[in-house]
Amino acid sequence: MHLFKKTPLNKVHRDLKARMTDFAGWELPLWFTSILEEHNAVRSRAGMFDVSHMSRVWVSGKKASQFLDKVLTRSVCRLEIGSSQLCLMCMEDGGILDDLWVYHVGVDEYLLVWNAGDIKQKLNWLFRWSESNPDVSIKNTTDDTAMVAVQGPAVCQLVSVKALCNLSRFGHTRAKIDKSEVFGARTGYTGEDGFELVSSTADASPLWWVLMDEGVKPCGLGARNVLRLEAGMMLSGQDFDTSTNPFEADLAWLVDFDERDFVGKRSLLEIRRQGVERKIVGFKVKGREIARSGYSIYKSGQEVGKVTSGGYAPALGVNIGMGYVPIELSSIGTGIDILIRGKMVSAQIVNRRFYEKGG
Amino acid sequence: MSPKEYKYTREHEWFGPEPENTGKTGLTKYAENQLGDIVFLDLPAPGTQVQQFEKMGEIESVKAVTDLFAPASGKVVEINTKAVDSPNLVNEDPYGAGWLVKLELSKPSELDALMSSDAYDKYVESLSQESSQ
Repeated sequence: MHLFKKTPLNKVHRDLKARMTDFAGWELPLWFTSILEEHNAVRSRAGMFDVSHMSRVWVSGKKASQFLDKVLTRSVCRLEIGSSQLCLMCMEDGGILDDLWVYHVGVDEYLLVWNAGDIKQKLNWLFRWSESNPDVSIKNTTDDTAMVAVQGPAVCQLVSVKALCNLSRFGHTRAKIDKSEVFGARTGYTGEDGFELVSSTADASPLWWVLMDEGVKPCGLGARNVLRLEAGMMLSGQDFDTSTNPFEADLAWLVDFDERDFVGKRSLLEIRRQGVERKIVGFKVKGREIARSGYSIYKSGQEVGKVTSGGYAPALGVNIGMGYVPIELSSIGTGIDILIRGKMVSAQIVNRRFYEKGG
Repeated sequence: MSPKEYKYTREHEWFGPEPENTGKTGLTKYAENQLGDIVFLDLPAPGTQVQQFEKMGEIESVKAVTDLFAPASGKVVEINTKAVDSPNLVNEDPYGAGWLVKLELSKPSELDALMSSDAYDKYVESLSQESSQ
């Protein structure tokens, strides 16, 4: 029997009669009312997600920045206090261990946030490279805090999050929302404006109800997945993993080949020199069948790759997806076929940013 | 509660008998609710012969895809083109406007193998108890 971890908002979800699902070992809402309604709320007004399953690890100490510069693909030395950046952790062979957000919170103090997945693996990796350095402290606060993402074009019309609306993109600050102390950041995973709020576990429910009273629609993972796919954002462990390098996953922009040495740098330089044979692409399906994760991609009757994510894009009214194809088939406009439950369905490679805010 | 006048399969299809050994079939409320927003129906062309409990189509929701099984053997005489154009009809009214396929039965006695609405409601209740444990 599986025992799923519950977030501090579990009871709230049950009171709201959410359809629950298992995601990376956590019990989370799949939807509250309907994926399409929730998607529409985020694209047109504001919706919120319980993202307490995302790992929150604090790295601090005199050698914190030096340590992060060793394990991350982008240096934190130019990251100002109050700002954040997306980056990667790569293995020695250049494979992507995960992507994460790094928030520079204070002098020698950083918050690392991963999109779920196996936190133990990531912690072990950090501990391995910190080599018990007394000047580096690593603290996992995932179970002691909650996290809520409030997303949508109307977020700054909400009274409760007013204090955060002066933040620039990727900026963050500590603030008070109603009676709850939060760490708030102007980040998200939906392609819309919005905030991610970290609170104490006790403050999570009051925070949720305050936002609901302001008309923010509770949303589940189903809508979150549709929104991130439309925005062309990848899901770690599904669209890339340790068998994928940043060049294949179109994530080389998250790798700084500066003077510093970091884990995986040597392999990544070699991969860059040699070039890659496959690359992730976005595609649009010419038909109403949905190309789901794991389906095979064909060209001229030959299997050439796999779909990693796919679904209906309500904002566009078509079925879209992402997958890996040989580099020579990766240019925009190329026709491919996808085998959808025994039927060859044609598709076309398009820009992976399917949906652009306000577009 | 499922309509009394229909018969039900374990795969959550209903069959509503009509005159001359015909009848409509569709998805039950339970199935619609499990699938969530339905976005695509792949239904058999009129004239297709179908076999009881064998696959005759596919229902695709935002979240998942599921097979549609024939509640009884026979010939497809009509499909609900309104539902094909607007699959959300199945979510809105699974027992009425969201019907899927009209069949002409070749072996009407096969309907004896289906459940009554009472039996089906009990069956669904047992499924939800399982999933909440």
